[in-house]
Amino acid sequence: MEFAQSLRLILPEEILSIGGLVLLLAAAWLGDKASRAISIASVALLVAAAAVTVPTLSGGAMGPDTQAFLGQFRADAFAAYAKLLIYVSGAAALMIAPRFFEQFRAMRAEYPVLLVFAVLGTGIMVSAGDLMTLYIGLEMNSLAAYVLASFLRVDNRSAEAGLKYFVLGALASGILLYGMSLTYGFTGTTSFAGIHAALTGQLSTGALFGVILVLAGLAFKISAVPFHMWTPDVYEGAPTPVTMFFSTAPKVAAIALTMRVALEAFGNQADAWRQVVVFAALASIVVGALGAIGQSNIKRLLAYSSINNVGFILVGLATATQAGASAMLVYLAIYVMMSIGSFVAVLMLRDAESNQIESIASMAGLSRTRPLLGWCLLVMMLSLAGIPPLFGFWGKLVVFRAAVDADMIALATLAIVGSVISAYYYLMVCKTMFFDEPADQVKGASDWAHWALLLIATLFNSPLGYLLTGWFDNLAGKASAALFLAA
Amino acid sequence: MVDLSQYLPILIFLGIALALSSLFVFLPMGVSRLTGTHNPDAEKLSEYECGFPAFEDPRSQFDVRFYLVAILFIIFDLEAAFLFPWAVSLDMTGWPGWITMMVFLGELAIGLAYAWKKGALEWE
Repeated sequence: MEFAQSLRLILPEEILSIGGLVLLLAAAWLGDKASRAISIASVALLVAAAAVTVPTLSGGAMGPDTQAFLGQFRADAFAAYAKLLIYVSGAAALMIAPRFFEQFRAMRAEYPVLLVFAVLGTGIMVSAGDLMTLYIGLEMNSLAAYVLASFLRVDNRSAEAGLKYFVLGALASGILLYGMSLTYGFTGTTSFAGIHAALTGQLSTGALFGVILVLAGLAFKISAVPFHMWTPDVYEGAPTPVTMFFSTAPKVAAIALTMRVALEAFGNQADAWRQVVVFAALASIVVGALGAIGQSNIKRLLAYSSINNVGFILVGLATATQAGASAMLVYLAIYVMMSIGSFVAVLMLRDAESNQIESIASMAGLSRTRPLLGWCLLVMMLSLAGIPPLFGFWGKLVVFRAAVDADMIALATLAIVGSVISAYYYLMVCKTMFFDEPADQVKGASDWAHWALLLIATLFNSPLGYLLTGWFDNLAGKASAALFLAA
Repeated sequence: MVDLSQYLPILIFLGIALALSSLFVFLPMGVSRLTGTHNPDAEKLSEYECGFPAFEDPRSQFDVRFYLVAILFIIFDLEAAFLFPWAVSLDMTGWPGWITMMVFLGELAIGLAYAWKKGALEWE
């Protein structure tokens, strides 16, 4: 009975794993000419998985009924919220890929299959209720991601990105496993609930090392400073649809996982990890803001921008309150849409021979040569900078409000200063597009799927996004309530 | 603070290991010098590594087919390693344990079918 109940709870994962295996066989037998059909089938799988996840979130599922396999897996509202963001990012990465890879004659039927498995892994990460589940999900996502990063295998930069991601990902896994083994050694359990109960009162030195090493391993995955060094190289080298995927789905999953580990498993020791999170947040904001200023490649600039954004999200974690967790979830949703929009726009920058344009200088005068694209990118950049009428401002506002409510006014002030610094390079891109003499290099026509995604993301980030604030507050509130019920 | 006294057994263990391993290295050396069999030549002084030359340029060509076969072998070798503990504990895990392992074997079979169709098993 328990087993059957568990199988019902992991229905989204069952859809993705069985569907992914069927598509793998289809990819082998039908070959690369069927890759568009397999991409469409993969999007359908993600839609089906999202459809069975929605009731979990809207019903605000929480408590013992959501625990599968004796608490190793949690199908609660918090996991459902993160999973829906992941499915949206995965579907976007599938929809923009065929057109991109076809111009290099490199579209393979394995791309959608790998992406489905990566999404499955991230889904397991956010549902983890045990250190073992955490690690299985993390590795399942990472192994697929290493291959995706080097998917353009004749391109040197793509191969380099894959190798770098692999080496640093393996290092991060090692650190994480070391922390997990210390935590297990000092608490005698791998389940989050058990660790929560065991880590009370004064923390022993060994357990402290365990907590810090686990957080360091997770900081690699969310690319928080000082474990961010792989991000610009991997984001620049990986094919743009894959970069878009990396900056959304695995990041959402790793941040949700960090929240669950920090607030639930280590929830009694918030004072021990808070200083680490505050440092990582401020360092990410500063490095993300200063590092981007000297960049001439738009993908590297967006990589630093994502480091910067992770810093703002971690400000919410440093509060260790339910309001902070809810603010992080709202910020994450807005961040995902900003990332999708900006990377799709970058993908659409192509010259007359339909080569990708990545240098910021070639985007000069884009507002006159390609007005619609220019204006959409303007909305994305200003939204990333958090300029008020746009929706990106709302994400920053809720996070800072949570920090102020938790009496962390100094942290909020420093984060706002960092936000002002980062506005400089977003505005530089806007200035290049709107006021410089046209370089007239962007020529290539774009797929309807690219335009559709870009326009949806632009509408979401435009002031119209504020119509969704009540809805988001409600959903994020349900999700964070599920997270804090266990903690 | 961590109570270090509980780690005394591991300290003793490491001391014994260090003493024994030093003995294994230095005792034969001493004996050979004392009995007069100490007679080094180039072959004796070179490193031994499975019959391959130990030091050479790493940028040599290497047939990727060896790698493919090796990685397929590792997957099925690990599967066998999984099957032993599963088989002896089947009376405790029951039907859920049996079903889980069958799902795992099915996934491996799909992986093998993929590799086979892609031609990974053909040497030429």
